[in-house]
Amino acid sequence: MGADIVTVSTDTQFVHLAWQRHEKELAEVQYSMGADPTGNLSRLFGVYDDTSGLALRGTFIINPAGILMNSEVNFYNMGRNIDELMRKFKANLYLAKKTDEGCPSKWQEEGDKTLKPGPDMVGRVHEALNE
Amino acid sequence: MIESCENRLQLGCEVPDFEIDTYEPSIKNFGKISLEEQKTAGKWTILFFYPADFTFV
Repeated sequence: MGADIVTVSTDTQFVHLAWQRHEKELAEVQYSMGADPTGNLSRLFGVYDDTSGLALRGTFIINPAGILMNSEVNFYNMGRNIDELMRKFKANLYLAKKTDEGCPSKWQEEGDKTLKPGPDMVGRVHEALNE
Repeated sequence: MIESCENRLQLGCEVPDFEIDTYEPSIKNFGKISLEEQKTAGKWTILFFYPADFTFV
């Protein structure tokens, strides 16, 4: 889809190798597994926990110009929804082409209703969403 | 985009170029991911941080 997914933890690349090779749930993995043992990358993104030396559950979407477009961080005990990540990524791709539009909260994929913000819409979003 | 980016990592700001060592299951070998190369190749990059291998969730 024109995106590279990179998972990152403070484990070394050797641990990633051992884990991917051993854990059957990871048998089909094709994405890059990033190693951040120094915690430097985790610190850059504000997800490093220096009490544990581990990274929090942070997801960051960076566009091809290197601009940070989305950020989501959860605590250890709560997983992130991958469908939501895909939805956000698709919205990013769509909005990169349609720079005058916005994807409302119920937007799922290209073809769904979008909004074109402007003076006419002020106070009339309900009408715009339902027309 | 946001103007007052200075030195902070904020939405709408440029992420400083970074490089990270990786394991690449697709070639069963080690590799590197570089933001500079991602930009040169015109690709989106999705970073997915998590606490630790061999754990759950």
